[in-house]
Amino acid sequence: MTTYKGVLLRGIGAGGIAGLLAGLVGLVVVEVPIRAALAVEEARAAAEPAAESGHDHGELFGRGTQVVGGVLAAVIVGLAIGALFATAYAGARRWFVDRPPFTRSVTLAAAAFGAAALLPAVKYPANPPAVGNPDTVDYRTVLYLGVIAAGLLVVFGSSYLASRLTHLPAPIRSTVVALAAIAGVTVILLAFPAPPDAIPADMPSDVLWDFRLASLAETATLWLGLGVVFGLLIDPSVRKTTAKPQAALAA
Amino acid sequence: MTSPAHHLSPPIPRWAYAVALVALMVTWLVLQENGIALGHAAESLHEFFHDGRHALGVPCH
Repeated sequence: MTTYKGVLLRGIGAGGIAGLLAGLVGLVVVEVPIRAALAVEEARAAAEPAAESGHDHGELFGRGTQVVGGVLAAVIVGLAIGALFATAYAGARRWFVDRPPFTRSVTLAAAAFGAAALLPAVKYPANPPAVGNPDTVDYRTVLYLGVIAAGLLVVFGSSYLASRLTHLPAPIRSTVVALAAIAGVTVILLAFPAPPDAIPADMPSDVLWDFRLASLAETATLWLGLGVVFGLLIDPSVRKTTAKPQAALAA
Repeated sequence: MTSPAHHLSPPIPRWAYAVALVALMVTWLVLQENGIALGHAAESLHEFFHDGRHALGVPCH
């Protein structure tokens, strides 16, 4: 059995790879609507030269540096999330205990994606530059982190509920747990307040939605990439299959 | 209660919590820091990781 240190190093490695893949998705996919949104911002600044536009992008850093920073952000966040994911995986004593490690890793990452990326993307969709009032950023951050915490609580609660219902036949247990999880997510979506900022009229809706989908593609790459790579690294059967052909040759 | 899963998971040492704390802090600095910890220097951090913050769906000004 792998020690905690071994699990942690695999998590950090998998997180680095997944973060790099997500950063590349950001570079190729997300940068397209970001450029369109920055054009909207520039047009706005050109129309009202006297008005204070809140933030001056590209004053501190050039656009090229910020694009590199975007990829680097995904890599660093990937490394950190990989370490957290490995710790959660090592501590998860109820999560799909009867399944192989690869399945446990991928399902745990999918659940984390649902709680930490998909749920906030539904309730508080990501916004490109030129959207968002600087005065409400603290409030929006609290709502965003709150919805993530509540989502993680639903994941933990579902896993706990499943571990308490082992006396039920598997199909009934799965149905009960799924219904409970849906109920939890529904309560979260209804209980949390609506996003406070209106979308500015000069932001084209296709730029907005291109950006939101592209952002979701980046977070999905990060989380599912992490689950798959970590699963490949942690599952002993992956190493066994590479040893098999050699054994067959020797025989 | 003896869980059937115990053989699956290695014991988690105490320093693991320190690792988790560092990982959370790193994530905070890259995605959230707007002046609480670093004051004015946070603006450089914010602007450098600006595209990454937007792309990862984090609320931004």
